[in-house]
Amino acid sequence: MKKDIEDFNSSGFSVDKSLDRIPAVELNSDDDSISDSSGRRDFLMKLGVVAAGAATVIGGQTAAVAAQSLGKRKIQYAMVIDTRRCTGCHGCTVACKSENDIPLGYSKSWVEYIEKGEFPNVGRSFLPRLCNQCSEPSCVDVCPTGATFKREEDGIVVVDADKCIGCKYCIQACPYDARYVNPETGTVDKCDFCLHRVSQGLVPSCVNTCEGHARIFGDINDPESEVYKLLAVNSYSVLLKGMGTEPNVYYIGADLTDPNSDMYENSYVRIETHRREQERR
Amino acid sequence: MENELVWGLPVIGYLFLAGLGAGAMVTSATLLLIGEHKPAYFRFARYGAIFSIPAVAIGTLFLIFELGTFQAGYWFKWLNLFTTITMSPMSIGTWMLVIFFIFAVPYAYTFMVSESHNKDNLAAMRKRLALPNIILGVAVAVYTGVLLGAMPARPLWNSPLLALLFLVSALSTGVASVLLFEWLSVKTGLSDWFAEKRGWDKNQMDDEHNDAAYKMATSGAVLIALEMLVLSLFFLYAHLAVGNAVRAIDVLEFGGAMSTLFWVGVVLLGLAIPIVLEAQQVMPRFTGNGTYTHSGMMIVLVPVLVVVGGFILRYVIVVGGQIAKLAGI
Repeated sequence: MKKDIEDFNSSGFSVDKSLDRIPAVELNSDDDSISDSSGRRDFLMKLGVVAAGAATVIGGQTAAVAAQSLGKRKIQYAMVIDTRRCTGCHGCTVACKSENDIPLGYSKSWVEYIEKGEFPNVGRSFLPRLCNQCSEPSCVDVCPTGATFKREEDGIVVVDADKCIGCKYCIQACPYDARYVNPETGTVDKCDFCLHRVSQGLVPSCVNTCEGHARIFGDINDPESEVYKLLAVNSYSVLLKGMGTEPNVYYIGADLTDPNSDMYENSYVRIETHRREQERR
Repeated sequence: MENELVWGLPVIGYLFLAGLGAGAMVTSATLLLIGEHKPAYFRFARYGAIFSIPAVAIGTLFLIFELGTFQAGYWFKWLNLFTTITMSPMSIGTWMLVIFFIFAVPYAYTFMVSESHNKDNLAAMRKRLALPNIILGVAVAVYTGVLLGAMPARPLWNSPLLALLFLVSALSTGVASVLLFEWLSVKTGLSDWFAEKRGWDKNQMDDEHNDAAYKMATSGAVLIALEMLVLSLFFLYAHLAVGNAVRAIDVLEFGGAMSTLFWVGVVLLGLAIPIVLEAQQVMPRFTGNGTYTHSGMMIVLVPVLVVVGGFILRYVIVVGGQIAKLAGI
């Protein structure tokens, strides 16, 4: 993975910095916001010290962890999907497939349609899906070779194809069905937030292509990022919260209809996954 | 069942064969330890030891066949498993299998030398290897359940009782497979052939043999009873839960996708019928009101039912766990 990126860097491909910049990461930024951000960092450091003091009073481990994350703010890339803006056009699916050269029949990102109700009370909503880049990834816990791991530097969960043996344990462990076996290499593949783009200061391909601006990308730990601001003012949800995986893909206005629920025993509901796995996990 | 199964027959075969082989090893080592000076116990121990190694080895090969990299033509990429130790049950299990083979292969070898008998010059070494092999056999059998149990995303598997269920099933199929392997060896003349070629003592249907078989049949019955208990608890706790676990156990219940196979294959054929037959046979001697004769259906029918039931159990659990739907999204 790392090697790929180095190759990519040395390939002479120049990035147009005016396009698709991630607002959250200031890579080689030459504008004056850098002093602002360092000032902010100082402030946060102080805040962290205060919070650490408070933590000893509260005695809670969470408070201490919170203080630590405030002190040396770690980057955790996240995506907010505003389903109110999604038109179900599959642009993200196609962009992802071409960007990542995904074999026929597989997808790292897809859009589910949820159709329900009976005329005239009917509804249709869209649920774009991808790897949730969980903070507590159950796929990482079960990997026997350490091939899949969560990157310290940006919180993206990746697969090292050199180490992966294709045992499919992580596919079993992922409640979101976000992983598949690449038929060419036999190793497991998944969405990595377009690491090759993100490391160049670009947003992931699906975010770049989304016509309705339904997909928003950034560092969730940065209070100035768009994702942070969106979650600060909107009600949001994550998928399968009960799994305890702490996803980093957040949804605004998502239809979390469960077609297998007793509620829909006698009424119409249909989920179209638009992928090889025609049913959800 | 529109989604493809991620783990199919090779994994089911592995879980079954590794459990069975580990169970046969535990049976073998136990018989050796309890029947130190008795040739009949020694012979049974030999059948168990010889059978155990290929069973676990073939199971492990199945596991390699299932690997995506192996199927894509990268035949040796699984060796990556040996470059690291992680907290993944699969990594721990891999190393456990290595340690199992390190102890089990020399143990089986001590039985294989020509003219091996219970008082030969390898007897001390054989005895010393027996206890570690019991422990490692149990560990390998338990691990097959832990492997599946590690994931909240597969609620049918994610029960602490699954490891226990697989352990008890592994031990009972292990005992049954040793009885079956003995019968097959005698029937096919393999036993006589070895007796002639390697100077091993001939299989005799004497009192001692009957005694060893009685002990195996009794422990077989106890193990089936335990398995029924664990299975009941497995069901009970799934029922007392909410959400995912309840939905998962529905797959095995009446009307569920795996229900016929489970109730007929596992409960009726694999547990209920064998325990009734076995109890009928061992009860007279167990209660002191009669004798036990290792004959008739005890030799073939019961072991076959137990082994087949053990396979169907793995099948139902592995497939059922993958088709059970999660609650919500």
